[in-house]
Amino acid sequence: MAQLFDGIRVVELARHVAGPFAGKLLADYGADVLKVEPPEGDPSRHEGPFKDDLPDRETSALFLHLNTNKRSVTLNPEAPEGRALLRRLLDSADIVIEDFRPGQMADWGLGYDTLAEANPAVVMASISPFGQTGPWRDYRGSELTLQALGGPLHLNGSAHRYPIKSGGYVAHYHAGVAAAYGAILARFRVVRGGRGDHIDQAVYEAQAGFRDRRTVYTTATSYTGKVGRRQPPGSRPAMGARPAGDGYVNIFAGGTKHFMATLDLIGRSDLKEHPDATKPLQSYSPEFAEQVEGSWAAWLVQRTKREAIAETQAIGLLGGAILTTQDLVEDPHYRQRGVWDTVDHPATGPVEYPGRPVILSRTPRQPARRAPLLGEHNAEVYCGLGCSEADIERLRAEAVI
Amino acid sequence: MTDHADSTLPLDGIRVAEITVVWAGPHVTQVLGEWGADVIRVEPVNQIQPYSRGGERVMSRDMGMRAAESGTILSAYPDFEPGEDPWNRSPAFNAHARNKRSMACDVMSPEGREAFLRLIEHVDVLVENNVPVTIERAGLTYDVLREVNPRLIMLRMPAYGLDGPYKNYRGFGTHVEGMIGHHWLRSYPDGSPEETGEAFTADALAGVMGAFSVTAALMERGTSGEGQQIEMPLAEAFLPVLGEWILDYTMNGRVAQPQGNLHRSHAPHGVYPAQGEDRWIAIDVGSDEEFAALCAVLGAQVLLADERFATGVGRHEHSKALDAALADYTREWVNDDLFHRLQAEGVCAGAVHDERDLLASPQLAERGFFEEIDMPGVGTHRYPGIMTKWEHTPNAIRLPPPRLGEHNEAIYLDLLGYAREEYDALVAKGLVGDTYPESLVPRTWMQPAP
Repeated sequence: MAQLFDGIRVVELARHVAGPFAGKLLADYGADVLKVEPPEGDPSRHEGPFKDDLPDRETSALFLHLNTNKRSVTLNPEAPEGRALLRRLLDSADIVIEDFRPGQMADWGLGYDTLAEANPAVVMASISPFGQTGPWRDYRGSELTLQALGGPLHLNGSAHRYPIKSGGYVAHYHAGVAAAYGAILARFRVVRGGRGDHIDQAVYEAQAGFRDRRTVYTTATSYTGKVGRRQPPGSRPAMGARPAGDGYVNIFAGGTKHFMATLDLIGRSDLKEHPDATKPLQSYSPEFAEQVEGSWAAWLVQRTKREAIAETQAIGLLGGAILTTQDLVEDPHYRQRGVWDTVDHPATGPVEYPGRPVILSRTPRQPARRAPLLGEHNAEVYCGLGCSEADIERLRAEAVI
Repeated sequence: MTDHADSTLPLDGIRVAEITVVWAGPHVTQVLGEWGADVIRVEPVNQIQPYSRGGERVMSRDMGMRAAESGTILSAYPDFEPGEDPWNRSPAFNAHARNKRSMACDVMSPEGREAFLRLIEHVDVLVENNVPVTIERAGLTYDVLREVNPRLIMLRMPAYGLDGPYKNYRGFGTHVEGMIGHHWLRSYPDGSPEETGEAFTADALAGVMGAFSVTAALMERGTSGEGQQIEMPLAEAFLPVLGEWILDYTMNGRVAQPQGNLHRSHAPHGVYPAQGEDRWIAIDVGSDEEFAALCAVLGAQVLLADERFATGVGRHEHSKALDAALADYTREWVNDDLFHRLQAEGVCAGAVHDERDLLASPQLAERGFFEEIDMPGVGTHRYPGIMTKWEHTPNAIRLPPPRLGEHNEAIYLDLLGYAREEYDALVAKGLVGDTYPESLVPRTWMQPAP
């Protein structure tokens, strides 16, 4: 059955999260993605969490998740012979994803201009912390520091405490999608008769363009000269994160258009007559705010988080339960929708993975193939380039592959 | 150098219609528009779409300034002035609406439905992010629209899916964050999720993911000649982002605990106080060499000599004590000074930058990220630009955010071929216009607090 990216050849020279996620999005929807790893493997193979917490380059969850549907070869681009092999791999690619330091590919004689001379249709997506140009181009960046500089980190957390980052590697995942989008846009121009291009995706710039508050608040600052700040917890009566019987929920009730129905729901119909009941939240008197908050909090803790959400959804309130990963994986909604893929792997056995981000009506995604073992496809790929088995043995002995 | 005469934007000639609300849907069409698509925003003028143009809650200048003093600027109009048309002055709307045209149309009315179906004949893509039942009630599901235009690509972005128990659950991004495990994960390790605050991370992810999948479907359409429906629930588009945490549960049975600024192996890895009120610096040390360089810059030789901190494993194990000790040094520094000094020594660090700092970033200035836009009636302001650079394809914002109904005539008369009399009849009925009826505008919000 047809998939979105049938026939597209991708070479992924990228490590850790951002570039590999771009490659995964292409691979999961049908592209032939060849992952070129250094001889010791992508650093994500060494990060974990590992199966049973035993470090093993074949059982790192970060790697297994990010590299489904790809093939793996190993290659040392520092070795001249490695670079020659790499050049041949790159010359057959429609899309190249790389995340070396800015200028590294050109120093190896593998920069965009060189590749485009041979193949004007090639698309190269370069991912870097701060971009290929600019005064910070050679600065080091990580998930934490790039969220701090580029993203809305200063708004996260409580006014009474230090700011906290968003979870996991979200800035790098986001930059990875942005790079994949750029690559597919450029490829689309190629198939419409145009040329390829060199996509320059900075994680920092993706964070500056992040519509998790960053672009909105920056526009507001541009309008007013003022900046946003972290808020104190519990400052809005019957609105925001609160304890329920078995965890937490986040519901907007106070001051909303369904507030009267909320008072009925929590058994405080008497408060509907209060003069503050129809006012916006900011205009509640302290006495009214205290009554509302007290009754709301008491009502919530008598219910499980999912019960509290179901009952408040029924009267039109906006809200959600604050789920743990266990809640999430076991949740009946996601189970019923089949969002988890079971992927078998020789080193882990069958494990459930997050499946598709999107569902296509006519070109559905095919079941995921497991992530490759390190160098699993060396023989297949290098034989395809005309290497003999003896050549491959020698390259391995010389640590080229 | 290769010859790059072709710098046409890749989506040049592609037309996109949107019936979107709030944050995530409009972000998809923002990034499609930035790469060349002609985006038509279909929006009613006989009702106010909540949280979309900022018109649902008109704040007086005083209220806006008070909110800003407490750090809330989400709804801050230019100079805090709501003006006569606050719905053209919302930062949440104007941050995404560049390169879009606005067409007044109520798809729930018979006349609006007819206009909308005529529009569907002329577009390649439709993007919507309403509660599923809304689209079903409107009779605008994909099976209906494909009869009008078989080449249509329709992106649907419900919060949780077009089926399943949570199908019609309502929520903003901040609520979806809870339902995908992100709120819990990003909370303070030693605190309550009540302290975590709001986030709209899934909206940001879904915006780019949606544009990616639409473009992919457009490319595939070039081969097959057919459109299709793309279903992208906000929640599901985000699940891969937590992949390693989910696998830790499905593979090892471990339930992830709130992480705050913790890292799986790096230490120090955190946000440390700097000189001034609410000023901070983020530092991420992954090797002994970086730790030595950090201690040298800070003059913290005593930490370098401390046996507990001699190895990466030791630093990670004793990270609480290490963080407390480091804070005593970092608070002597201006965060930007320390940021550049540490980078010069090869230490991965970054100042925590608020919006004002971001607008002043020399890196973004050199790369031309922020762009000035003159929006009629709103004035000239700087806006976040395009998050991706192409080496040989110059790109910039082409159109300012549209005022409500600004492009009615161009779309009804020129694109859809309405006769002037037909158009005037829609205006007379209040279905087409460039303002909301004053009776709908909740100016009661302008009353000052007691």
